Amino acid sequence: MAAEKKHFVCVVCPIGCEIDVVHDGSKIISTEGNKCEKSEEFVSQELIEPMRILTTTVRIDGSRWPVIPVRTDKPVPKRLFPRIMTQLRRIKLQAPVNMLDVVVSDILDTGANIIATRTMPPQ
Amino acid sequence: MIMQVDVAVIGSGPAGLTAAIHAHRSGARKVLLLEREEELGGILKQCIHNGFGLEQFKQDYTGPEYAERLIKELEKTGVQCFLNTLVTDLSSDRVITALSPEHGALEIRAKSIVLAMGCRERTRPSIGIPGTRPAGIFTAGVAQRFVNIDGYLPGKKIVILGSGDIGLIMARRLALEGARVIGVYEIMDYPGGLKRNIVQCLNDFDIPLHLSHTVTQIRGKERVEGVVISKVDSNLHPVEGTERLIECDTLLLSVGLIPENELSKKAGIELSAATKGPVTTEIMETSVPGIFSCGNVSTVFDLVDYVAQTGAAAGTFAARYASGNLGATRQSVDVIAGENVRLLFPQRYSYEDDLVLFIRAAEPVEKPVSIEVTPPGSKINRLYARPNEMLRVKIPKEKLAEVKRPIMVSIREK
Repeated sequence: MAAEKKHFVCVVCPIGCEIDVVHDGSKIISTEGNKCEKSEEFVSQELIEPMRILTTTVRIDGSRWPVIPVRTDKPVPKRLFPRIMTQLRRIKLQAPVNMLDVVVSDILDTGANIIATRTMPPQ
Repeated sequence: MIMQVDVAVIGSGPAGLTAAIHAHRSGARKVLLLEREEELGGILKQCIHNGFGLEQFKQDYTGPEYAERLIKELEKTGVQCFLNTLVTDLSSDRVITALSPEHGALEIRAKSIVLAMGCRERTRPSIGIPGTRPAGIFTAGVAQRFVNIDGYLPGKKIVILGSGDIGLIMARRLALEGARVIGVYEIMDYPGGLKRNIVQCLNDFDIPLHLSHTVTQIRGKERVEGVVISKVDSNLHPVEGTERLIECDTLLLSVGLIPENELSKKAGIELSAATKGPVTTEIMETSVPGIFSCGNVSTVFDLVDYVAQTGAAAGTFAARYASGNLGATRQSVDVIAGENVRLLFPQRYSYEDDLVLFIRAAEPVEKPVSIEVTPPGSKINRLYARPNEMLRVKIPKEKLAEVKRPIMVSIREK
């Protein structure tokens, strides 16, 4: 693959360096605009596969509120967000649920679990 | 019912929870926490995204996790909590009037009080958009509550006015839930929210951010059918001929937060025109001795870590006041905003603790700056100053012991 230029904003720290990266699809040829080295790892990962924590809600029965907040317990590929959301729409939990309880394990074979982010007592 | 307590804390968000925990740790025996909702935690309960507590706990919590951690700490203390309890009045001699279905009409006489009522959102009337009055106009935080707690999607084609953090967070949240977020329109020529939120909430979901744009009209009879967007000039006035109609069914407003100080006014507490919150000293004491304030009721902070930090100080010193370990009259000097400082907290220094300053720049400076605090003549370097990211600096107590005149804080390019 021929060298290609890409623009990133690093989110490792609050500075948010605007980085111009020249890469050939597999490795970084040069970076410009970053104030530290930590951004290299971030940019490499962004080039291969952007990873994010997903936070959302799922439905729940038998509690004060009809939904309960959940998240992935580690970053998952950003491109899987729509598919994970579709899967989570089919789920309905039953109160009580404790914070950090696993709601779905190994979602879409990512190795990440969906965990509850609050305790929901029964109503 | 008439009650006597050492420290009463009003509000159980991150500021109030932290204040109650620290009041207990600092030796206050009878601490009472008053919350108008049915659960503790305040606005954290609906902030289901992560990014909370990075500084304070070195953990990447979601809002509910952060709240639950504090609530578990609180439960170990024996602090008494009254839920569903609405404070209706507060007097300068520290008497709280409150109503609760469980406890009835309450008169609470407190040796000291911590105000932690937080803030509320600016609304359409407060920014004056002309047009009809259809359904489908929400503040971003109200939409956040509908989606994250009540399980409703407020609309399907969404325009967001203002680039405050809650608006950015909601852009991502609604996109995830399948709504079409057409764009975020910001009247200023720089974003209101944190950079990481621009990246992770807008760029990640291909949601455009239009700077120097605003909504000049809302269309629709029963329900929002569209909004008119205009460019603005350098004086923030809409430019004629740039109007564009955008079809949508929902308009979210993320146009700022205002500290909620109705109770503070009733107690005769002096408010700052700049922060809209009580004028406080470094120990979070207001102009009324024995009444302290912390968190977003004092000034709107960017990070929950900052909110909790002020809560810890307020709780600690409220406990000391209650036990008689703080004098009734204290000397203090003004802390004044100088060059390129739009907002400054706290506004007074009373020689009791280190001076931790929270500073908001008036204009962005994208190069190294020096924060000058004079007297005592301290200079602290930072890589940049951005209005959307509060600066925080600490001046040790020892350096301030001899200070007799007002302390001026400026941001200067190096």
